Amino acid sequence: MAAIKAEAVPYRDAFRANPAEPAWLVDARAKSLAAFGERGFPSRRDEAWRFTSTRPLAENFFVPVRRDLAVTANEDTDFGKLGFEGPAYRLVFANGIVRALPSKLPPGLWLGSMSQAISERPEAAEFAISEIDLGGTQPFASLNAALFADGFVFDLDEGVALDRPIEIVHLGKSALPTSIYLRNSVRIGAGSEATVIETYVGQGAYWDNVVTNIAVAEGASLTHIKLQDESREAVHFASARISLGWSARYRNFGLTLGANLSRNDIQVLLGKGAHANIAGAYLQRGDQDTTNAVVIDHAEPDATTQELFKGVLDERSHGAFLGTIRVREGAQKTDAKQTSRALLLSDRASVNIKPELAIFADDVKCTHGAAVGDLDKDALFYLRARGIGVDEARRMLIEAFLLETIDTIESPEVREHLARQVRRWLAAEKA
Amino acid sequence: MLEIKNLHASVEGGREILNGVSLKVKAGEVHAIMGPNGSGKSTLAGILAGRDGYDIASGAVTYDGQDLLTMPPEERARAGIFLAFQYPVEIPGVNNMYFLRVALNAIRRAKSEPELDAGQFLKSVRAKLKLLEIEDDLLQRGVNVGFSGGEKKRNEIFQMAMLEPRLAILDETDSGLDIDALRIVANGINRLRAPDRAIVMITHYQRLLDYVVPDFVHVLSEGRIVRSGDRSLAGELEKTGYAGVGS
Repeated sequence: MAAIKAEAVPYRDAFRANPAEPAWLVDARAKSLAAFGERGFPSRRDEAWRFTSTRPLAENFFVPVRRDLAVTANEDTDFGKLGFEGPAYRLVFANGIVRALPSKLPPGLWLGSMSQAISERPEAAEFAISEIDLGGTQPFASLNAALFADGFVFDLDEGVALDRPIEIVHLGKSALPTSIYLRNSVRIGAGSEATVIETYVGQGAYWDNVVTNIAVAEGASLTHIKLQDESREAVHFASARISLGWSARYRNFGLTLGANLSRNDIQVLLGKGAHANIAGAYLQRGDQDTTNAVVIDHAEPDATTQELFKGVLDERSHGAFLGTIRVREGAQKTDAKQTSRALLLSDRASVNIKPELAIFADDVKCTHGAAVGDLDKDALFYLRARGIGVDEARRMLIEAFLLETIDTIESPEVREHLARQVRRWLAAEKA
Repeated sequence: MLEIKNLHASVEGGREILNGVSLKVKAGEVHAIMGPNGSGKSTLAGILAGRDGYDIASGAVTYDGQDLLTMPPEERARAGIFLAFQYPVEIPGVNNMYFLRVALNAIRRAKSEPELDAGQFLKSVRAKLKLLEIEDDLLQRGVNVGFSGGEKKRNEIFQMAMLEPRLAILDETDSGLDIDALRIVANGINRLRAPDRAIVMITHYQRLLDYVVPDFVHVLSEGRIVRSGDRSLAGELEKTGYAGVGS
């Protein structure tokens, strides 16, 4: 038996193979668990984790939640304010297990839980697990593959434009350190259009570990919104792997408000003529810590990428942005632009921004820009000179700074939903 | 209304710029403060509006008998002071209309007047836009974003018309305006002259004064007012230049 890292031992011991599962999954889980065991938690010595502390995870064993122990939460009273106001096909999960499914679905849409898909829609379930999960270069994703109980599966046929967004709400609730694993699959058929809105909220000291595989077929378009407002004691790690077909369009926007420690890993593989728009806003205070790590892989010619990340860091909080853009040999006419900005509202807040371009084609346009600063003093004075109090003036400027990241989202309802969350954060008392 | 007594001030850590300025402004009066570049005109405007970055060495400024210098800028604005900026600031992402409504309601609250709802506000906006010949769509943009130089200056006077200050300080409002824009701005200012409102125009050139006729003209030179007179002083300056006056 291969050596296993100490921090991996309790997770391995918590693993129970389920003989009722299909053989391919039993096998994938065993391989993933072994890969995680060998690798253990990433550390700051790993380049991709240089700016993300995993100490809160090392200090405690987060007991994997079991299906039969999953609690239910009262979404209406606990989480009602965070939901999307407009009509949506809504799935609710509590501690990693599906709790509510939409009743009526239009033709061409398959939307359900991963536990259901494993038996009813195996190819969608298989799609949710990648080679990389079995390999161990992303240890938390491997751990997820070994232990996940559920997740969401969203399949859209060719040529369907969905009339409303898919909304996924996840509620975490735990008094003791608990780990929750969600494994999701999204496949958008050729020429189809859809929007997914994920919302993560909760109470207590849990660790959400989310892995989502996404394929957007040729000519299709997916808008993928995520609102992370987890409990301030929680850890939230999410990894999304996206592959875009010929001329596919993918927009990802993540709003990070909550959790004590959080990280979004986003990897996009672009096909010929595809377009990716990856944006995010993170607002942190107290001792919150968040990382956005984006890897854009231009594998074929004529594809474009736009990235815009903005952070507002107050008190002792920390943020990090790692943005890699890779342009492979032959990916000519690639056009990629990356911008990352942060506002530090306190002397003790800090941010790390690390752009990285790896270009192996010669006819490409790639730019990146980064800036860290404070609010514009002239703008602040201008607002105050018109009678606007200093706190309100600051809020207005911070909001304006952040909302640039959602400017290009087409749906006004979605934009307003996100803007409301930003305003709620800005209006909240300091922690 | 406004009384400046022997004001000495410098840019933080720099040399003295105001070197004993004294001035009294009463309600209903229009004053012009003229002077060459570097005479301290904009410093004076900045200090009156509460801009950071100045050291006041001595002297006093009172507004309605209150010590103005200890008031933060927003309190000055709420007390009725308005500065038309020489260089209006562009604020991307803050919608012009929203900004103006927040400002107006902050000032109305301070005066214990009811806040305006969106409908009442819009009605007031429409009337005043016409006065300054501003296109509606400018108001849907970010504050001053994508405005031409002339549009920015008109927007300042439009804001003044909306906020109805008791003391307006216009810092080089005429600079960078072509003759048509100057006429529109001047017309706007004239319409805002009122018995309970004082206006202080700070300018390098006398051409604005051909349109907005002041009651008093002061010449600021090397940080102090070296001459005061009526409107004829402006004409004299035009002939002799600043070199011939005062010293």
